[in-house]
Amino acid sequence: MKLSAYPAFTATAFTSRLAYRNQVWSGMFGELVATFAFIAVWTAAFVGRGTVDGVTLPDMVTYVIIAGPLLNWNTTRYIREVGDAIRTGDVTTFLLKPLHYPALLFFNQLGNNAFEQLSITLPVAVIVALAVGLLPPASVAHGLLFLAYWVVSWSMMFLIATLTAMLAFWLLTAFALDWFLRGIMAVASGAVVPLWFMPAPLAAILGYLPFAWVSYYPSAVYLGKLDLPAASLHLAIGCIWLATLVGILTWLWSRMRHRLIVQGG
Amino acid sequence: MSSILRVIPHLVGIHIRTHMEYRGALLIGWIAQAIGYAGIYASIALLLARFENLGGWTWPQMALLLAFHLLAYALGAAVSFVQFRDMEEKVRLGTFDAILVKPIGPWTFLAFSGLNIEYGGHIALAIGLMVWSVSSLSIDWSPGLVLYFLAALISAAMLTAALMTMIGATALIWVRSRHLFAIYFGFWELARYPLNIFPLPLQVMMITVAPLGFLAFIPTAVMLGKPVPILGDFAPLASLLVGPLFVLIAMAHWRHCLRNYQGAGG
Repeated sequence: MKLSAYPAFTATAFTSRLAYRNQVWSGMFGELVATFAFIAVWTAAFVGRGTVDGVTLPDMVTYVIIAGPLLNWNTTRYIREVGDAIRTGDVTTFLLKPLHYPALLFFNQLGNNAFEQLSITLPVAVIVALAVGLLPPASVAHGLLFLAYWVVSWSMMFLIATLTAMLAFWLLTAFALDWFLRGIMAVASGAVVPLWFMPAPLAAILGYLPFAWVSYYPSAVYLGKLDLPAASLHLAIGCIWLATLVGILTWLWSRMRHRLIVQGG
Repeated sequence: MSSILRVIPHLVGIHIRTHMEYRGALLIGWIAQAIGYAGIYASIALLLARFENLGGWTWPQMALLLAFHLLAYALGAAVSFVQFRDMEEKVRLGTFDAILVKPIGPWTFLAFSGLNIEYGGHIALAIGLMVWSVSSLSIDWSPGLVLYFLAALISAAMLTAALMTMIGATALIWVRSRHLFAIYFGFWELARYPLNIFPLPLQVMMITVAPLGFLAFIPTAVMLGKPVPILGDFAPLASLLVGPLFVLIAMAHWRHCLRNYQGAGG
């Protein structure tokens, strides 16, 4: 199947989400409540302190939106759908077709995520911007670099989630895998607490793991906490991580196809 | 009534035996869920390690709040969450109709035939964290306080089960109700933090229309002798009454939805 045909899956995934309008307003409300909760948490943490480690409260309010709903998208639904396809045997219907299953997942998830960003994250960001204010990028160059980081972040999250989901070929359960990933991402991605507030040894370790490219580095670049040479260097390291994860996924996929046990009927 | 009570252990037993057929998956699920929550709690611990307190709450106090939140939720959700989250599917496919013709109340059947023992990881983590936090705090455990702690925990678990029932029951009329759980979990996430750090309108919501302030913050604040916004001295009694009160409201809502259920599947 030609690569040019895959964007059709993105368009289909996007339009199919339009059918579930209840999910949009409830998802937006839930996200809005969670976002304001984190803003309240940081507001309480900064009481009586103007700046902590060179970071201000407005920095953290902006960080909450970027590192949270914008970059650290919820992978639960995706991982469980892939896990169910493996457990029930539905994955075989895709294996029979002239397409590459991981590529199908990529373009499908792109459509799903684009829909959620436009229908949930964007309205939440607008409301937060109007209510408490959001900072612009530290500079035009930082803003442009952030766009590149956004692509790396999304691809990194997709690859981490897909590798996690693919382990269901061995474990036959995506439920537990999803929870493992949630626990790891809560700390290692920096989505809740940025690495600059963590103890130095822990931050040093997490700063080299791919999870940090999902939330921490893109947000830090947006806020100008990394100067341009450091931001460019970390972008290159992120790309190396992406290439490594693509390699691992390709290798795993080549092995998984041969150990598929269909349990459904 | 006595025949129903005799059936319940059998319903629970069948469900547990089903789960025990896949012991490995059950154990991995417990460990995975405990790690999932531990990751979130570690983030909060890291935040408090840097900022010392959050709204006047130190890490050991926050750990008690988080442990109470998780334990009360797990106890209430074990009889309600998965069972009532899947209500819209039962309504859409028509399988709920089969439950209606059973010689047992549909709520009783749903709650106990699906009693979720997958919360073992939640409960183990919550108890472990609670033991650590209590040992780190100088709480004067009088018999009255122990009784209050147990009663508040039961009340909070009842509140959880009542809210889950109400959300699930809505599917009997609207056909869809899963999206309402997204709203519930939005407030549920807020309930992990001290209520006093939120703006006043949110504090009011958390003790009225979305009363998840009672899930953990209010009982924990009472035990630690901390001030409770809005409720003040009424907080201890209110935290004990809220569970039974919401059970009564949920019963009325459940009956109303059952009376107006017309089916959607075939």
